[in-house]
Amino acid sequence: MTIKDIIFLASVFAILFLGGCIEDYVPSTEETKQEIVVEGFIEAGEGSAPAYVLITRSIPFLSTIDLTTFDDLFVNEAKVTVNDGTNTVELTELCLDDLPPAIKEIAAQILGFDPDSTALNICAYVDLLDVLDRKIGGKYDLKIETDEAVITSTTTIPDFIPITKLRWDDPPGTPSDTLARLWVTIADNEEEDNFYRYFTEENNTGLVIPFSSVTDDSFFDGQDFEFPLNKAERRDGDFDPNTFGLYNRGDSIRIKWMNMDQAHFDFWNTLEFSRNNSGPFSAFNRVTSNVDGALGIWGGYAVGYYEEVVPF
Amino acid sequence: MSSQNREVNYYIMKILITALFIMLSYSIYSQDNFTLSGYVKDAGTGETLIAANVIDADNPSQGTTSNTYGFYSLTLPNGKYRISFSYLGYKDQYFEVDLTKSTELNVDLSEGVMIDEIVISAEKEAKRANVESTRMGTIELPVENIKKLPAIFGEVDILKTIQLLPGVLSSGEGNAGFYVRGGGPDQNLVLLDEAVVYNSGHLLGFFSVFNADAIKNTTLIKGGMPASYGGRLSSVLDIQMKEGNNKKYAVEGGIGLISSRLTIQGPVVKDKSSFIISGRRTYILDLAQPALKGSDFEGTNYYFYDLNTKWNYTFSNKDRLYFSGYFGKDVFKFRQPTRDLFFDLPYGNKTGTLRWNHLFNDKLFFNLSVVYNDYQFEFDGGQEDFNFRIFSGVRDYNVKLDFDYYANPMHSFKYGINYTYHKLTPNTASASNGEVEFNTEFLPKYANEYGLYFLDDIKFSDRFSLNAGVRFSIFSQLGPYTSKLDAQEYGTFEPAITYTGLEPRASFKYAVNSDFSFKGGITFTNQYLHLVSNSTSTLPTDIWVPSTEIVKPQKGIQYAIGAFKNWKNDMYETSIELYYKDLKNQIDYADNYVNDLAKEVEDEFVFGEGRAYGAEFFLKKSTGRLNGWIGYTLSRTERSFPDIEDGRWYPAVYDRTHDLSVVLSYELSKKWDMGATFIYGSGRYFTPINGFYLIEQQLNTFYGPRNSARLDDYHRFDLSFTYTRKPESKKAFKGSWTFSVYNGYNRKNPFFINYTTDTDFESGTSTIKGEKITVFPLIPSITYNFKWNQN
Repeated sequence: MTIKDIIFLASVFAILFLGGCIEDYVPSTEETKQEIVVEGFIEAGEGSAPAYVLITRSIPFLSTIDLTTFDDLFVNEAKVTVNDGTNTVELTELCLDDLPPAIKEIAAQILGFDPDSTALNICAYVDLLDVLDRKIGGKYDLKIETDEAVITSTTTIPDFIPITKLRWDDPPGTPSDTLARLWVTIADNEEEDNFYRYFTEENNTGLVIPFSSVTDDSFFDGQDFEFPLNKAERRDGDFDPNTFGLYNRGDSIRIKWMNMDQAHFDFWNTLEFSRNNSGPFSAFNRVTSNVDGALGIWGGYAVGYYEEVVPF
Repeated sequence: MSSQNREVNYYIMKILITALFIMLSYSIYSQDNFTLSGYVKDAGTGETLIAANVIDADNPSQGTTSNTYGFYSLTLPNGKYRISFSYLGYKDQYFEVDLTKSTELNVDLSEGVMIDEIVISAEKEAKRANVESTRMGTIELPVENIKKLPAIFGEVDILKTIQLLPGVLSSGEGNAGFYVRGGGPDQNLVLLDEAVVYNSGHLLGFFSVFNADAIKNTTLIKGGMPASYGGRLSSVLDIQMKEGNNKKYAVEGGIGLISSRLTIQGPVVKDKSSFIISGRRTYILDLAQPALKGSDFEGTNYYFYDLNTKWNYTFSNKDRLYFSGYFGKDVFKFRQPTRDLFFDLPYGNKTGTLRWNHLFNDKLFFNLSVVYNDYQFEFDGGQEDFNFRIFSGVRDYNVKLDFDYYANPMHSFKYGINYTYHKLTPNTASASNGEVEFNTEFLPKYANEYGLYFLDDIKFSDRFSLNAGVRFSIFSQLGPYTSKLDAQEYGTFEPAITYTGLEPRASFKYAVNSDFSFKGGITFTNQYLHLVSNSTSTLPTDIWVPSTEIVKPQKGIQYAIGAFKNWKNDMYETSIELYYKDLKNQIDYADNYVNDLAKEVEDEFVFGEGRAYGAEFFLKKSTGRLNGWIGYTLSRTERSFPDIEDGRWYPAVYDRTHDLSVVLSYELSKKWDMGATFIYGSGRYFTPINGFYLIEQQLNTFYGPRNSARLDDYHRFDLSFTYTRKPESKKAFKGSWTFSVYNGYNRKNPFFINYTTDTDFESGTSTIKGEKITVFPLIPSITYNFKWNQN
């Protein structure tokens, strides 16, 4: 919770207290140009997935978006290539509806969703044969050619700084018999700036991204640092201050721990700031992209996974 | 700074200091004519009266006004004169004076009844200043006039009243922050008894820190800032606290919905020394505490308070001493006992001013001020062993020497020197978890600021007057400091970088006839301390930063011309003023700024320029049962930064094309007074959403060009009625009720626009909702005010 959030909460209190009101607002419907959006990742490390890129289009303000509109957002038939310093590999476009069930399962795993409940015909460009040399210290150039534009970007996969220790603790206050707090320790590297990201998963229900998922090492540069790692809350779930960030005892949990380069961090840092800072006292901020010619991100991750059962 | 520059600055400084000393010695020894001098005071309370008119009744062009301390000096040739003393709302007094030698004459004026003819003539004199003074864009607001107007929750607020003047805008719905002629919120110099107030708002700016019961006079200078003021580009808001009744004890107070007030004043030594102490505190959440008991938020509370105090002592007619202090704080406590989570968010100002007035002779008035001020913001929170703290603040030590030299009715000089030592603590964050500690290790920044000024109010003829002055300012960033550019280390008090500025100022008046004049002026200003907000209004979290090797001083030039006319035997004052402002080294945050405590804000700044221009129309009536004003401003304010959209000129958030205020007060009967205000303004600019895009199966927003859309136009009508049961009662105790309605026709003025998205990626559906949030609906309020005066 930042001070801005606190001030926002205070102002919400003030609005409620003062009897202010909220009305629907529809912005002017000027035609806005649809931008191309890139979301592509390349990972290295144990359990890491092959490289993939999603290419979509932005949408103007619409009150509701249906399945057809969503399906139409995907940009098809683009030529997507990645150069790993040695090889240039063209990624293969896969659309869920075209895939046999077995491959659909693999694709869903890579992209991180449940294949059984997905109605959306997601299309992605995937390094299907996993040809790219995905490694720590690697540099990867992305080139996308569509009918409209040529889009380029470069990312790197930095050193992996693992979690060296996971520790379970009673949460502050009560109740403490059903919930637990997770502490993790890392040994930050003093020689360079390091950037971290994490997701959490409970009982194989899929990885969840926390509201604030990234940090740099400004506060703990070069230190052995122990800190509480909050459980990620689902965005569609209700916020409960009494359970926020705490794990249920007895659950199987999995942590995905990642390192990335500065440009990649800047993207998530500005995006999450933009997502979390709405309200009367927040001006807009623009998301820093490392992609030339489009919105979005082409990001490299060094990854590691940690599995635990939350003790009683 | 190059050695050549240093040499030039050295010579400029030397010339100015020499000029000051020549002026000082000339001031002390020149005695060509005879001088009538003294103090003008309120007969009932002994309070000195600021800007009272002292005029040769038979030749009104020979006259002067009392200064901030009530002192006047009028030098005339040997002869007999009928001198009139007048002050708005007081009865005139006339004195036959045979000026065969220099004479001291202290005058006590009594408050008058508005229909009294004598008072009308006093008001007439006051209004003559509209056409006769060289001053432009300067408005005096006696606090009694402010109290007659409607106020939200019945909380009388000086800052909200000045927002009703042309050229002055509110920084947001219900907000006490203000913008003057296209300047940013940090470009206003807000002074309380000469102490700079760095944060003038309580409760996120909804209330100002100025308790009207403790305030005597408010002067707003929005253009043509005299050389005696410096350090800000846009305006000066000079607020004087009451001195305290030196004749008898008095108690005044009010009980309102949000807060209550109490003021006690009286003599320490009758006619020689007095004190005033005035407090205000909110209690709405204190009252809610029983309801919070046992809840998840037991112990959560918010309140603010102000304490103003002043004491003065008159040693003789030549020497007076004043001490004034202000202490104000907001306290927000959050408690969630079930998870042992807490934070405290206290912030506030402390100021102390010690002043010594000395008369070297009857023409030369001297004031020495020693001022301390301190603004601190703190956040202290945690959970169990984990603790997190943020601290920022500004602390100044200031010494000022000011001289007023009334040479003759043709010339009055002001000159002086001002030194301030600044300590600015940026956001220093620290965290601890058990025995492990972390912090941002940002050091405070230190600076010296000097100002040296000289100005002359010259009356060439009855038609033509000129106020010309110059201010020379020097600002040095001091060590301990390590350069970010070349890693050079600077020791304590060692200058790391020095900036200087020569700031000429001039304004003239040409009178076409006794009711009509033209005025014009040019003002150069420099600003060395800056506050930049990435919010739509200023917040206590915003940080003041000094000019450094990274942040250059802001510079401004304002050109203004105007026509001023009084009508119907001075019943109506009217004016049209045109201004153009050119601003350099303006500061903003980069488009992708993220509020990151690990980074110094100055490293997140981008620099650019600004311009503002506009026309202000003003019609005022201050006599009779109905009085008030109508102000209308047509203006444009723009900014351009090379690092924001390649330098495209875009409208600033402080841009309002149209701004109209209608302010009326009407005496319905002896018992009932009515006040009404109507405000209309073009909607505030904001940066609109251009669309949404998918990342990680969520819709994210992206924005169009900066400030390329407007909120709906703003308008509002407020009304108040004050009932005094026995207005002419001679009893010591008097009470009155004020009933007011804010936003009388319940206009839903947008406070901000919010967007929410709800996306189910897997099913391929999403809803996007835009919301217009309104904060203040129709708000009725009731306040009981009382006064007790010792008989």
